Amino acid sequence: MSEILLKIKDLIVEFPTRRGLLRAVDKVSFEISKGEVLGIVGESGAGKSLTGAAIIGLLEPPGRIGGGEIIFDGQRIDNLSDEQMRPLRGKRIAMIFQDPLTSLNPLYRIGEQLIETIQTHLSMDNKQARTRAIELLDEVGIPAPQTRIDAYPHQFSGGMRQRVVIALALAGEPDLIIADEPTTALDVSVQAQIISLLKNLCKERGTAIMLITHDMGVIAETADRMAVMYSGQIAEIGKTYDLIRNPKHPYSVGLMGSIPAIKGDVKRLVQIPGSMPRLNDIPQGCSFNPRCGKAFKPCYKKRSPLIEVGNSSVACWLYDEEYKGAKAK
Amino acid sequence: MKKRNLVKVRNLDRLFDVSKPLLNRIIEREERKILRAVDDVSIDIEEGETFALVGESGSGKSTVAKMVVGLLPPTKGSIEIDGIDLSDKSKIKELRKLRSEIQMIFQDPFASLNPRWRVEKIIAEPIRAFKLEKNEKAVIAKVAELLTLVGLDPSDGRKFPHEFSGGQRQRICIARALASKPKFIVCDEPTSALDVSVQAQILNLMKDLQDEFSLTFLFISHDLSVVRHMANRIGVMYLGRIVEISNSKDLFENPKHPYTKMLLDAIPDLEMSGKERNPIEGEIPNPIDPPKGCTFHPRCPFVNERCRKEIPMPIEKDGSIITCHGVEEGRIGK
Amino acid sequence: MFNKIQDNIFRALNSDFIYSFKHSPVAIVSFIVALILVLGAVLAPFYAPHNPFDPATLNLMNGFSAPMKPNEFTGETFFLGTDDQGRDVFSTILYGMRISLFVGFAAVTFAMVLGVSLGLIAGYVGGWLDALIMRIADVQLTFPGILVAMLIFGIAKGFTPIDQRDQMAIWVLIIAIGLSEWVQFARVVRGATLVEKNKEYVQAARLNGRRSGGILISHILPNVLGSVLVIATISLALAIIAEATLSFLGVGAPPTKPSLGTLIRIGQGYLFSGEWWILLFPAATLLALALSVNLLGDWLRDALNPKLK
Repeated sequence: MSEILLKIKDLIVEFPTRRGLLRAVDKVSFEISKGEVLGIVGESGAGKSLTGAAIIGLLEPPGRIGGGEIIFDGQRIDNLSDEQMRPLRGKRIAMIFQDPLTSLNPLYRIGEQLIETIQTHLSMDNKQARTRAIELLDEVGIPAPQTRIDAYPHQFSGGMRQRVVIALALAGEPDLIIADEPTTALDVSVQAQIISLLKNLCKERGTAIMLITHDMGVIAETADRMAVMYSGQIAEIGKTYDLIRNPKHPYSVGLMGSIPAIKGDVKRLVQIPGSMPRLNDIPQGCSFNPRCGKAFKPCYKKRSPLIEVGNSSVACWLYDEEYKGAKAK
Repeated sequence: MKKRNLVKVRNLDRLFDVSKPLLNRIIEREERKILRAVDDVSIDIEEGETFALVGESGSGKSTVAKMVVGLLPPTKGSIEIDGIDLSDKSKIKELRKLRSEIQMIFQDPFASLNPRWRVEKIIAEPIRAFKLEKNEKAVIAKVAELLTLVGLDPSDGRKFPHEFSGGQRQRICIARALASKPKFIVCDEPTSALDVSVQAQILNLMKDLQDEFSLTFLFISHDLSVVRHMANRIGVMYLGRIVEISNSKDLFENPKHPYTKMLLDAIPDLEMSGKERNPIEGEIPNPIDPPKGCTFHPRCPFVNERCRKEIPMPIEKDGSIITCHGVEEGRIGK
Repeated sequence: MFNKIQDNIFRALNSDFIYSFKHSPVAIVSFIVALILVLGAVLAPFYAPHNPFDPATLNLMNGFSAPMKPNEFTGETFFLGTDDQGRDVFSTILYGMRISLFVGFAAVTFAMVLGVSLGLIAGYVGGWLDALIMRIADVQLTFPGILVAMLIFGIAKGFTPIDQRDQMAIWVLIIAIGLSEWVQFARVVRGATLVEKNKEYVQAARLNGRRSGGILISHILPNVLGSVLVIATISLALAIIAEATLSFLGVGAPPTKPSLGTLIRIGQGYLFSGEWWILLFPAATLLALALSVNLLGDWLRDALNPKLK
């Protein structure tokens, strides 16, 4: 087992509202090793983006960390102030957002933005930084970087802009990149390019990625391990291959079955009835129980801990020794 | 036995003037800019089938959808539905009847419902506008029936749209579309704003309703796996032109146009078979200033001189319609 | 039926709107002040000590009585004193506020109807009609509202027979102020209409055979009313001030039917001769009225547009 880079333990993200405290992320625990790609999938509102924002300390108020620990490279970072977080942010943990247009300042040339970022994190003079910026642009596959470096963001296409954003993220030579839906805003053919770019760059540099997406295909292409999130909790976590080929949690099973297959003629898709509960309306016990065809007694009482089944960990009572053989009614 | 064609689209063109205002043009010495969003598109849709248009952003697929339902007038070309030309002003009565038989389901389930209207009023709008029921009592009964049909409760009619989730809203949109007893429904990316598990519900519902009411669908999407699941026949669009029309099965198993091949290569491999994929080259050019000749030529691995100069015309091959010099000459495919 | 009403009331009380109101001290205070002033003005005939519009009740001997002090000639005491003609200042303020509020509400209603209709048409129809309406609005904006109002007032004065001028003055005021304020409504409604008309629910309505007029009224109008309400409230404060300004300049409400502005004009003549109350109390009332309505409008804008915060 390789060295652990990031360790999240019982992370809670909550929002105080006038109707009470809402828990958007509820005791999530996972680890990312150095150089590993961990995919986080889930539907909108599952808490995956908030988990990412909590790690890098960019939760929008009134959202806040309500409990748990975030340990990055042996150092606890969840209780750091903004001031203490600054040297980490960008330098050791970088972030890539969904919309490349909003992550770039439209008023500055991309070179200026890159050089500024490089100089914030590494001690380089202007000339060195510019050379480095050109190298980075070249690495992310921007043609003619010597001239393109002086262009403005609007002069790039969507895919090229996302490449620039990736170059910006790499500028501080981070150990971890949190990529929040990095390909969602892009066209299919461009999406494939960006995925393979991210994957190759990180393999070369040994950078770990936490890849947040709702697109199972992107995860399958990229991630070593993956976690499935449902209403703020991890339903299942394990090796991507195992999880996609042989999902165990009833929610993961439903999720995999609901993706239309390219090969073969499926008459009907597997459908999970209903929709994810709203935060103020999460049922007691396992939050998936109203939609689960296999729910039985314990599911309505208590939420299951993560139980190890083969290579995966599953939060489902079906796999608990005590209830082996128990049937759904 | 071949069924009759419900929808016939012939040589459809649509131009948009995207120039800056007159004053700016004079000061900046710029010429008018014309965007050719749809270029010479011809489609036949059989009664009862699902015809899908796929393409990336800027391919013109949504513009085609808007023209087919009559929300946008074509610049050139004709659209004939159920034997009536949409531009034929002499048949006002028939056109009004035809209007009620064409419906549309939109992409954004949040923008497609008026936030200030109760659901029952939303669903009843087509019934009232086309005067399809004799009295108010019948309208109310019909609304309840439609709500049940799409898997909602008749009591949901009292609620406002914001009280529903995205998937439920899309069900409301489907109920509204069904309210006027349509024959033909255009679905413009109906599930792209939804989560996968909810998408499956909506796709299943649409298939069920299609069987029950023998509906014809024009299905617009950028998601190839959804299209594979829903469509009988598929048209692939690139920069306003149709590059290939094939049966769903043929298209996925034996794509002929180089662009179709590229699109299929771009689909993430969910099977995790580990097969090597052809790397994808380039991006979609700016549609205001498209490449000369075949618009795909800068990205095409099989490009030659003819492709750079001459615009290819559609040809029929093995039951498919292909717009490619390479396929025509037999250079591409065996 | 009863259940439905109960349900709606419950929903309304529980809404974010009411919540935001309850948690904004400024909104609550402004609302109470505005409510007291408006009710005080509306109900004035029932409790005001005098009717200042009725010359028969006036006694010139009462002139220049100081507040809360018995008059040296008649021995009568007036709460807020009297003016030069012996009119009770408290009563003139109450009646003056009636005129100010009437002019304000009527002018805003006029501006609203005009502005909202033109804005809806400009935004929905577009093209040359849009350009025409918005250019007229632009030209209108280049003149200060007061100037426009004075211009209209001056023209109208020329057409009205002398004996009807006092009567006409109020209506001319309303039209003049209304015409100088419709632009705000038209601009905002046009902008909102442009956004709404491209939403898919409007396209769905078009597909369902609805005509443009029906779509404008039943679909688009309800969705732009929120912003109209905000402007209407802020415009009301502006209209009251505009009316006061015009009356102060002598082109508004006549001295026989004084509004707050007229009272201030009358009062300022006595400021330096020691009769401060004739100016101070009407001015303070105007300030309280305009400020409370304006603050209410500000809060309303924030409450209806949470994104602005």
